[in-house]
Amino acid sequence: MSEGVAIWRCTKCRTGFFPEPLLCPRCHNPQFTTDTVREAVVEETSVIRHMLGQENWQPRRIASVRTSDGQFMTVGLRDESGPGARVALFQEGEAPFGRAKA
Amino acid sequence: MAGLVPAIHALLRSQDVDARVKPGHDSGESGDMFQSAAIIGVGQSAYTRRPEAGQTVLTFMRDAVVAALKDAEVDAKDIQGMAVASFSLAPDAAVDLAWKLGLSLRWLAQDTNGGSSAVSMLGNALRTVECGYASPILLIGGDATGLAGYAKVAANFNTVTQKHLAPLGHGGPNGVYALVAARQMKKYGLEKSDYGHIAVAQRAWAAGNPNAVYRTPMTMDEYLAAPMVADPLSRYDCVPVVAGAQAIVVGRREQAPKARPAVRVRAIQHSFNYDHQQGDGLQTGIGTFADELWQTAGMKPADIDVASIYDDYPTMVLAQLNDLGLIPGNDMAKFCRTVIKDRTLPVNTWGGMLSAGQPGGHAGGMNGISEAVLQLQGRADTRQVKDAELAVVTGYGMTMYRYGGTAGAAILERGP
Repeated sequence: MSEGVAIWRCTKCRTGFFPEPLLCPRCHNPQFTTDTVREAVVEETSVIRHMLGQENWQPRRIASVRTSDGQFMTVGLRDESGPGARVALFQEGEAPFGRAKA
Repeated sequence: MAGLVPAIHALLRSQDVDARVKPGHDSGESGDMFQSAAIIGVGQSAYTRRPEAGQTVLTFMRDAVVAALKDAEVDAKDIQGMAVASFSLAPDAAVDLAWKLGLSLRWLAQDTNGGSSAVSMLGNALRTVECGYASPILLIGGDATGLAGYAKVAANFNTVTQKHLAPLGHGGPNGVYALVAARQMKKYGLEKSDYGHIAVAQRAWAAGNPNAVYRTPMTMDEYLAAPMVADPLSRYDCVPVVAGAQAIVVGRREQAPKARPAVRVRAIQHSFNYDHQQGDGLQTGIGTFADELWQTAGMKPADIDVASIYDDYPTMVLAQLNDLGLIPGNDMAKFCRTVIKDRTLPVNTWGGMLSAGQPGGHAGGMNGISEAVLQLQGRADTRQVKDAELAVVTGYGMTMYRYGGTAGAAILERGP
């Protein structure tokens, strides 16, 4: 686990993107630097109660969040944070997660 | 012309389509997109929730092809082009299917646009026939993934899903569209029962479709009591995965069966990656071309008698209807509680995928086109819409990250 979530920032127009693009959708520049976003606001949540092909599935929470830098992300929620809550972002592998800010 | 009740007609006709046309657009003479090319036959295989031993995507496709060729009164040796779309055809490709079907072709394509593949393939075939390169052309869509296979497809849909969604346990498309539905409910003031009106109405239509996997009428109470899958989506909001296939034959109008006029396509449009996944998903790519679609067709939303709207989730039915300008005042809640509930606008008259089943998005989209053809030719049996002359069909697909990135729509007309 690492704190924050990696995003890709266009070196020309400075817009940050997630997931990683090949060319900037705004200016079509091919160069990016990585950056980290650490905070987001929860916009919508869901509880995944059923998963095709899984028999012993345990419900999991996911959310659509807007990061402090403006990106929309789908994250796994590790607590009961709901719409409007500020969450701290963290990353497991390449997957983004969130939990209430301490 | 049959179709909407007078009040709805009046509301829709109050929308001045010409006034919404993008500045600078010039589509030429209305309704002249295809002078020669048309849809001349449709066919489908049986649909089943659980394929039996020996049933594969190839056998379902074969059955659909045989049915479509018979319907079009076309001999297989005369087919000059073919397009196919499927999640479960691999490791075979389009040319392998052509080989297995005994087809020698001069035009061949494989489409990968999921729920909008049907409209994509239709557009490409129409343009190919119209320019005189190949005709007739056979379009095929089908899948037989099984539930476990579908789960594998959902978790590995693209690299973004593999890296950023599947590790969350996001639930595949159900999880993605649960978040879109929550957003739509908030923005448009929708209640859970509003989606229920769509599911219940389509189930009522499905009662007249012997090929639908779910035909028993459903009540609103049954809809609301169904177990939650991914809040706020419950069982009947989620399209049931089935095995099956569809086929459509596109050709020159004079190649159509003599006793049955071909179905013309007055206009067709497509959109791919319309907003780079940076919007809210409540508008689809259809919104980028709807004005041009209607203007090219020389039609307006109120003229439509039958609508086949891609229905992997009720949420996306509403989004597409709204993009097409079929929901007066963008009032989705009122539309569900009146027009959908009362079935005054015939939407997804074969039951839609929600009741008939989804044999992959490719064939699911083709079923909507096929149903429109049957309705316009007066061949829809007990679900026939009286005097249906014009239909709109849509496709929507490829959940790239937060919602679908491909879309298409066409205006179909009963032939002379």
